[in-house]
Amino acid sequence: MTFNEIMDLLGGVMQTTGVFNFDPKVIIMWALAAFFIYLAIAKKYEPLLLLPIGFGIFIVNFPLVPMMGYEEGRPQLLQFFYHYGLEWEIIPCVIFLGLGAMTDFGPLIANPKTLLIGAGAQLGVFVTFTGTVLAGFTLKEAASVGIIGGADGPTTVYLTTLLAPQLLGANALAAYSYMAMVPIIQPPIMRLMTTKKERLIRMRQLRPVSRREKILFPMVTAGIIALLVPSVIPLMGMFMLGNLMKESGVVSRLTETAQGSLMNIVTIFLGVSVGATMYADNFLSWKPLLIFGLGLLDFAVCTAGGILTVKIMNLFLKEKINPLIGSAGVSAVPMAARVSQMEGMREDKTNFLLMHAMGPNLAGVIGSAAAAGMFIAMFK
Amino acid sequence: MKRIIAVLIMGLFLAPALASATEDFLGAPIVPGAKIVKKTDSRLELLVKMSHDQVLAYYKNALKGLKDVRYREWKAVSYIEDDSNRPWHSITISKRSGAETSIVIMKDNWTWIMGTLLLRFIGVFIVLLVLFLALSVSGAIISRIVKPEGDQKAKAS
Repeated sequence: MTFNEIMDLLGGVMQTTGVFNFDPKVIIMWALAAFFIYLAIAKKYEPLLLLPIGFGIFIVNFPLVPMMGYEEGRPQLLQFFYHYGLEWEIIPCVIFLGLGAMTDFGPLIANPKTLLIGAGAQLGVFVTFTGTVLAGFTLKEAASVGIIGGADGPTTVYLTTLLAPQLLGANALAAYSYMAMVPIIQPPIMRLMTTKKERLIRMRQLRPVSRREKILFPMVTAGIIALLVPSVIPLMGMFMLGNLMKESGVVSRLTETAQGSLMNIVTIFLGVSVGATMYADNFLSWKPLLIFGLGLLDFAVCTAGGILTVKIMNLFLKEKINPLIGSAGVSAVPMAARVSQMEGMREDKTNFLLMHAMGPNLAGVIGSAAAAGMFIAMFK
Repeated sequence: MKRIIAVLIMGLFLAPALASATEDFLGAPIVPGAKIVKKTDSRLELLVKMSHDQVLAYYKNALKGLKDVRYREWKAVSYIEDDSNRPWHSITISKRSGAETSIVIMKDNWTWIMGTLLLRFIGVFIVLLVLFLALSVSGAIISRIVKPEGDQKAKAS
């Protein structure tokens, strides 16, 4: 071999490395990835999602990596997870199966009027939709950004994949980040919107809920959702199946799998696939920044909407509801309910609002799914 | 004088052409040869000597390749809706029998957006209200069944 041939060979080999195909824009994405991994590990903010999302962002923002493309017609690794898990809407539904298997709807069944608080807490979804359209997004994009305020990760991923898949990364990141920041976002709004007298309202202990009611609940809910908002039954149906498995008590192996290993598996695929959609080229624009800003507004207005709903309900109720549980309509379960508890205890250390707040917290899950169903019906 | 008459005669010939539709309204294509019935800044009503199917085929071809355009078939009209942020919101094509078809092009307007949002927000309440009523009724029924069973068990023991 001549010297020139050797140099050509070396040059060819070097060209297959990322070094010679480097785009400086990816450094910003690496920094972003590092930030979310830091939030997950050091601050423990939603680590189950933010860690794989952060890593997904990191790994796809290298030149020539065969992760999110197609090779000889076959999807590469993360493209495979994304296509079959997210584009086919499988992962959000399976996550909801696991969530249903973990959830005790007792506080909601014991006090079903808290369902209305879950509905009122969706106010921010629709207000943010308006703001997003004003900001220049399309109607479908606005719907996918609006649902962030529902504080429901799988619902956000489900709706965004359906209506505006190009915003999946930004929407999911905003949703999960703000869910983790609920203890920072909500308390100032709660204090602003309630008086001391209202915060001191004590609520009667919840009645005991029988096993029959807990078994009947998923069937009734699935039936009503299927009749009224059929477009969202893939999510809510799986949610209710998981809950029925749990409450029946006769399929403990299935319940353990659904809430344990199955949930963990799909969570890994969800996180890494969502992160992998965030290439420098399609993420670095004004839209993600605006989404983060609108997401914060969304959470704030949803918090206000829940509290306002309680105040309106109290005009008609003899037994008043403590408005602090209104903010728990933002369905960051159980974080938002804990925030209601903490704020209640600031005023009165013997006022335990946690179980009361779980009602609207769980109602918010159904409310945000209903809102998502409304948007799907709008565009299908 | 002759010049004035000539201009007037030209104007008489040009007037029908001017009264006919221009190529598009707010970016929405207009069927060639359509006559303007009524025109405002936000609404254009046209009449065209084509059947409904021909008009629909024209629009499907003209809007081919555009993202976020939805076609709906209702009893009396075909409805084409834009879900992105184009200046036009909808094109309604009547299904009347006869040689002429009416077309209405509407501007994207906040009334529609706010109206549909309000309806859907109320819809969320309705869904959860129905669930609330169902749970209240089932809770009342089951608690009555469970209470006598509990009493019977207590008596038996």
